[in-house]
Amino acid sequence: MDKYTQLVSRGLGKDIAKKLGLPQPVVLRRHEPGQPLVQGPVLIQGSTAGADELASTLLAWNLDIRRHAVPKEKLGAIILVLDELAHPDDLEKPVLAAAASLRDLAPNARVITVSRTAASASTPEIAAARQGVDGLLRSLAKELRAGATGNGILLADGADTTSPSTLGALRFFLSGRSAYVDGQLLAVTSGAGQLPDDPEKPLAGKVAVVTGAARGIGAAIARTLYRDGAALVLVDVPAAGDHLAAVANEVRGTALQLDISRADAGQRIIDHAVERHGRLDLVIHNAGITRDKLLANMDAGRWNSVTAVNIAAQLRINEVLLASEHFRSAPRIVSVASTSGIAGNRGQTNYAASKGGVMGMVRATAPLIGAHGGSINAVAPGFIETEMTARMPFVTREAARRLNSLQQGGQPEDVAEAIAFLASDAAGGISGEVLRVCGQQLVGA
Amino acid sequence: MSIQGQSAPGPKESSPSPSAGQNAAGQNAAGQNAAGQAAAAFPQLRKAVVVGGNRIPFARTGGAYTKSSNQDMLTAALDGLIARFGLQDERIGEVAAGAVLKHSRDFNLTREAVLGSALSAETPAYDLQQACATGLETVLGLANKIRLGQIDSAIAGGVDSASDAPIAVSEGLREVLLDLNRAKTLPQRLQALSRLRPKDLAPDAPNTGEPRTGLSMGEHQALTTAQWKITREAQDELACNSHRNLAAAYDAGFFDDLLTPYRGLRKDANLRPDTSLEKLATLKPVFGKNLGSEATMTAGNSTPLTDGASTVLLASEEWADAHDLPKLATVVDGEAAAVDFVHGKDGLLMAPAFAVPRLLARNGLTLEDIDFFEIHEAFAGTVLSTLAAWEDEEFGRTRLGLDGAFGIIDRSKLNVNGSSLAAGHPFAATGGRIVATLAKMLHARGQVDGRPARGLISICAAGGQGVVAILEAH
Amino acid sequence: MTASQPVILGEMPSLSKLYVNAAATAARRRVLGTHTGTELPECSHEVRGVQADVANLTAYQHLIGETASDVLPAGFIHALAFPLAMSVMNRDDFPLPLLGMIHLSNKVVQSAPVRFTEALDIRTRVENLRGHRAGTQLDVVAEVREAGDGAIRWLGVSSYLAKGVFLPGIDKPSAPSVPAAFTAPDPTALWQLGVDTGRAYAAVSGDFNPIHLSVLTAKALGMRRSIAHGMYLASRALADVGAAKGDAFSWDVSFEAPVFLPARVALDISTAQDGDGAWQRSDYAAWSPHSGRKHFSGSVAAL
Repeated sequence: MDKYTQLVSRGLGKDIAKKLGLPQPVVLRRHEPGQPLVQGPVLIQGSTAGADELASTLLAWNLDIRRHAVPKEKLGAIILVLDELAHPDDLEKPVLAAAASLRDLAPNARVITVSRTAASASTPEIAAARQGVDGLLRSLAKELRAGATGNGILLADGADTTSPSTLGALRFFLSGRSAYVDGQLLAVTSGAGQLPDDPEKPLAGKVAVVTGAARGIGAAIARTLYRDGAALVLVDVPAAGDHLAAVANEVRGTALQLDISRADAGQRIIDHAVERHGRLDLVIHNAGITRDKLLANMDAGRWNSVTAVNIAAQLRINEVLLASEHFRSAPRIVSVASTSGIAGNRGQTNYAASKGGVMGMVRATAPLIGAHGGSINAVAPGFIETEMTARMPFVTREAARRLNSLQQGGQPEDVAEAIAFLASDAAGGISGEVLRVCGQQLVGA
Repeated sequence: MSIQGQSAPGPKESSPSPSAGQNAAGQNAAGQNAAGQAAAAFPQLRKAVVVGGNRIPFARTGGAYTKSSNQDMLTAALDGLIARFGLQDERIGEVAAGAVLKHSRDFNLTREAVLGSALSAETPAYDLQQACATGLETVLGLANKIRLGQIDSAIAGGVDSASDAPIAVSEGLREVLLDLNRAKTLPQRLQALSRLRPKDLAPDAPNTGEPRTGLSMGEHQALTTAQWKITREAQDELACNSHRNLAAAYDAGFFDDLLTPYRGLRKDANLRPDTSLEKLATLKPVFGKNLGSEATMTAGNSTPLTDGASTVLLASEEWADAHDLPKLATVVDGEAAAVDFVHGKDGLLMAPAFAVPRLLARNGLTLEDIDFFEIHEAFAGTVLSTLAAWEDEEFGRTRLGLDGAFGIIDRSKLNVNGSSLAAGHPFAATGGRIVATLAKMLHARGQVDGRPARGLISICAAGGQGVVAILEAH
Repeated sequence: MTASQPVILGEMPSLSKLYVNAAATAARRRVLGTHTGTELPECSHEVRGVQADVANLTAYQHLIGETASDVLPAGFIHALAFPLAMSVMNRDDFPLPLLGMIHLSNKVVQSAPVRFTEALDIRTRVENLRGHRAGTQLDVVAEVREAGDGAIRWLGVSSYLAKGVFLPGIDKPSAPSVPAAFTAPDPTALWQLGVDTGRAYAAVSGDFNPIHLSVLTAKALGMRRSIAHGMYLASRALADVGAAKGDAFSWDVSFEAPVFLPARVALDISTAQDGDGAWQRSDYAAWSPHSGRKHFSGSVAAL
């Protein structure tokens, strides 16, 4: 948590910030093992069969479920089920019913819409209604305060309100794991996936490779996957070996000093994982570099090194992975993209091109890995508090930090949580998607 | 017997003395052992394998590790090894390491490093010291315990800091302080203190000289270098090759899984990839300047004082398999020798010239059966004097008890990934560096002419000692 | 040898008193011009039941590089007998001035080890007064036995030169001995001798001869700097020969150029073995690595 957020979160600082109309970021609720999934009752709005089925499923999770609002009761979450929209007119009733409860949301509450993907709509009316949810949700998320977030689940053909990955995504969005995910719509692309036996150890028995694991977001991913039960192979360049060893010893993993842009990197990763851990289930492509320069001043060295590490290496490693006998049991790949690759960023043409490339790769790889029963997704972080962003000039950093719905930067752990979710079997029905972890960045897409 | 998870096969019958034939006739014993005796001598022993190694880059004294203690560096090397092989919380059979320059507070150096590492705190450890042979001797000692079934896994290692070397108080101050401690009454204390003289307050700087001769190691080697008529050019060429080979190994990523950076250092600080014979030829001699012959030993063809640490993971085959760990090489056999350098009978660093012939004879091997030679480059002159002795007819006859010269080695098999002249030589850490490097090379080579690739390690040490060993690809 | 009965002293004489007395005698002779004659006293001096002080022994052993074993180093026994030898040379009937005498050479036959627990009878005498090209020389003989008239365990013969003293009736050698040209071999050892080397040896040997103690005291006796004790140098060389020499051996040393302190001294020890590899003898020579001048040489040989 940054110092400003600490200052305005309590006491005198809080009063002053309020009077001056300064941004008032709150301390976000983040996941701690053993913590309840959501703090307070969950109101499920919507009268479809899907809503009813969902309500009964969530009851089985021992959640405090409301099908009708109780006046003045503080709510932990509102789930707005909109899975049978036929016309934009159908939005009014459930949406306004939910609206009446918005003032009763507790701090760090959740609003989650469950609707269907517009692309699969059979008529213009249905498509309009479904696409309308998109605009509705993004706007609503910007109105929420006090750490509350709004996110949507989009059901593609073949998925319904109680599909494993619908429930998996719902769990993720309800929980503190999604603290910095706001204003996002995540598509459940199939009915595949499986909920974990132990929700605290969703990655138990899995062997995961994390590249760029020596520090920052990579180290946070390693810690989160370890917490979730995975055995870890941590990869980073030999020059970062000392930090890598420290992280490996912390998460009881093995360190593999390897430059992922080497031609044999994919095979060495597979060999190491299989030889030391007997299998390979998850690959997290986190390693990435920046070599910022305005395009007018760009040179081949800067351009090529970014391309080589950020996207070419991933393409080459994935090709080896997809061809390997050892990557066949519910294999999952999660790549780290960037909001720069979506919205663009001045001085980062090379970086944004590589990260845009990651998203393209993910989309196109989804059917390939799907053939082996696996999935591939990307996470696009926004402003994350790391050693790298700590070196940004103060004004730039403050602007980047505050210009999002949560008025603060994210933590490496927030990115790691999203990755851990997408790497889990609960997200097996989600593939080819990009999930942003950006606190709903206000500029750009 | 093993007290770890799996029970290890113990010796089934009493073993013939492993030292049989080693010392029966002192240094004249080479060649007198029946070929292949070793294989028959210990049929019941299991194999000890090298799983892998880890070291920190070697720093020049006063460089990156100036403020790091031996314990700091050994812990860093251990933690890198643990991370590489996933040994967190593992109870290793035994860890042995040592340092040549050692503070009195570090009496339990290795155990303290283990306690500070990610290993299980229930891992026992001991310190060992055999000067520059410390690292290799820990490997041999622990490998023997594994072969006997006493332990299933082990970590061997060594560390040295010439930057953080101990400085002793003067003998006078030390005696006064000890007497003061023993004194029971005030008058006794005052009496002890009254013996203190101003000069007693000056510390005793560490001395690298041999205690019995007062000559530094370099001065000793200068005598040997002159005795064997080793030229300046030959020494510079060896040094140049060491730098080139080490630089090429780094470029090829050879050290990616042998080394973990420390304190911002990612490569051995002494490495000069761009060195050349021309540059080396400009250096002024530093040793042997008062001898009758021309002085040939420079800072370029001698190892500088260095800081660093290394570790090697050893295991039984069963333990390595059960832990899904690689088996790079087998520790086949080792031999120690010593020479009477005090009165100049042999050069201080010439003991390996005797140890290698004895070791090869015991194993029924000749120099031609070796695929990789790892001869520690204390000085270029040390390596070249050893080779010259082996090539010398008279030395072979009169000192080794052979019919003629011991043999010539193929230089293309010598220190192919560089050695101490380029990497540096933190005394006790050199053995671990070489064992891990050779094990990886042997594993990569695999089979040669239908038998496992074979490597020879030779390390000379202060006190006229030498320890040598044979490793084979697993 | 001499037929006369030894003079038995009740205890080991004090060296410092002997030095004072020697200085007084020298002054008296200078003033009065008295002369005691041209013959050596025939009587010997003896002290019985001498025992080494173990703390002093340990300090001595450590200083010269011997392990602190229970056996007295041959040089230590020399130091033990030295005050008694001095007492003979300090007799009124001794013909030469004691102060300023130069130690030319020393021979020791150690026929059996002596342990610090043993009581010893020590007897000293002077003999063999003869000419030298630079003055007059003589031998001081010391015998060390196990107390109670046992066999001689240690026999030492020290040759001293009274430089510039020529006694009537004693001829100079006809041909002055020319020292053989010395070419320094490669050293097997290098000693770094600090300026306090003389004081340190004085502390363990009891020989507080001023020429060894400091620049000032040495200058008072005409030396440009203090010099190392000859027996310190020889004892270190003996220690460097090592354990191979065993318990019974002969040991000799000839002193040439003095070692002015501080100094670096280069040493070569070459060892001869018999056909079975058993040690036979070690020859040693020490020189200045700076000037190449020989300081001393000698040998240790099996008996």
